[in-house]
Amino acid sequence: MATADLSPLERKYARLGIVLIGPTVLVFCAVIVYPLISAIYLSLFSIYTPTLEGEWVGLSNYAELLAKGEFWSSLWTNIIWTVGTLTLQILFGVGMALILHQNMIFRSLARSLILFPYFVSTVVAVLVWRWLFNDLYGILNHFVMWTGASDMPVDWLGSMPNALLSVILVGAWKYFPFVVIATLARLQTIPDSLYEAAKIDGAGPIARFFDVTLPQLRDVLVVIIMLRAIWDFKEFDLIYLLTGGGPVTSTQTIPLLVYKEAFALNQMGMASAYAVVMMALMLVFMILYIRRTQENEL
Amino acid sequence: MKMSRRILFNVIAWGLVLAVAFPLFWMIVTSLKPGFELFRRPPTMLPETVTFEHYWRLLSETPFLLYFRNSVILASATTVVVVGIGTLGAYSLVRFRYRGRESLAFLVLFTYLLPSVVLIIPLYLFMVKLGLSNTITSLVIAYTTFALPYALWLLRSFMAGIPEDLESAALVDGASRLGAFRDVILPQLLPGIISTALFTFILAWNEYLYALVLVNSDGARPLTTGVMTMLISAFNIEWSLLMAASVMMSVPLIIVFAFLQSYLTRGFGAGAVKG
Repeated sequence: MATADLSPLERKYARLGIVLIGPTVLVFCAVIVYPLISAIYLSLFSIYTPTLEGEWVGLSNYAELLAKGEFWSSLWTNIIWTVGTLTLQILFGVGMALILHQNMIFRSLARSLILFPYFVSTVVAVLVWRWLFNDLYGILNHFVMWTGASDMPVDWLGSMPNALLSVILVGAWKYFPFVVIATLARLQTIPDSLYEAAKIDGAGPIARFFDVTLPQLRDVLVVIIMLRAIWDFKEFDLIYLLTGGGPVTSTQTIPLLVYKEAFALNQMGMASAYAVVMMALMLVFMILYIRRTQENEL
Repeated sequence: MKMSRRILFNVIAWGLVLAVAFPLFWMIVTSLKPGFELFRRPPTMLPETVTFEHYWRLLSETPFLLYFRNSVILASATTVVVVGIGTLGAYSLVRFRYRGRESLAFLVLFTYLLPSVVLIIPLYLFMVKLGLSNTITSLVIAYTTFALPYALWLLRSFMAGIPEDLESAALVDGASRLGAFRDVILPQLLPGIISTALFTFILAWNEYLYALVLVNSDGARPLTTGVMTMLISAFNIEWSLLMAASVMMSVPLIIVFAFLQSYLTRGFGAGAVKG
């Protein structure tokens, strides 16, 4: 659209539109675009955090990072965490949505209770779970020993593979309500006539789920999986607060590695390089998601 | 037969719901138990003696109230700034035509998905350079990085739901563009603004990473990092006290939640929720 074709009134409106978006653009440039570019720039330096003095090292941070075992093991942990917790979120989330879609007593109370883990702060969630996981007085260990599943208290967070499994489980508990709400909203829009037609054709409840419900849910599930994959991949708070990446580095994902490198090992340049690589990896998913959203809008 | 199946379904469904909610129930129970009862085996499901001593100690002997005040200021300031800028921005993105509008919408969605750890190092350096580190202001600035894209995205879909004819009618009647915005758009958008504000408040209230990196003094520390400091600095961990802190920290969320009920579905329908 060339500006020359516009009437004076339209041009005036366009100017007003730009004035209104002005504050947004300014804030975006200051707190997002500028930091983003400087993250890439910083990754080419070697910077000591306490003095903030650095020297140009070019791409050597990246060369070092790709040769390091710690980067690859963190990436691997990151992938296991993302796939593990996402799978549980989807399975449990869709299951719970199907239940909450049925008639049950006090349904709206049940829905509020299910939503709560999603809205409490990660700090609260982690404190509660660390108390549940407590080795001597935690109720989970009491339960395990009472059922006779184990004679010894289980070390939920201090040994492998328990620590990673615990983190995945708590992540699923915290974030599955998102899947529940999004799925529930879609379930409510599936026309009853589809189910009735299936019933007339003699389909049982299980056949109806696979032939009617699941195909109808497909589009929304794809969106949920992409969004949650992006968010789970970059999760910092939950893992950092539950295990701090430990024992040693067994539950350390890339966001934790960035934080450790920048503020514990004091290597800001190197930390920026990790962050940039992480963003590059996520970019694939982000572009896929954005593409899809734009298609839906057209 | 049909009846018994319904009862069975209800029992199983509620069993699952209660299992999910159990950690929250346990948080409240633990916060009300006196010290000696906490370490009893087997643990008591409901406190035999209910005590509020932990809440009292939390308020009188720890900096909890200071953290709480900081969090209220921080979350409110973030919400006001973000919703203010976002409402104007969303109006512009939806109802005006100019070059670069499409790419701006793209940028908003992109930043909405951006990981905080990428921005945190430059932002930290930025705050140090401006002399803003250890202030609530630095956190408000940092929080706009995730809250503004989020609010813009939500408001944009709410704005798109308002019929364009309403505004056109006002313009035909001789209203200016901004007059029409104030008299026609804003009242229509109000439910959307409220729901966006509530979600933004929750996001800011719960944030942890920026608070961890940018603030290192009790004067500006919000609840999330403050309560974790209480855990780390304690000689032996006092779980009852921490559970009391967790309950208190969730109270504003419960209040917001009660408000949210009617706005909740609207927010989710309009553009999902950040996690």
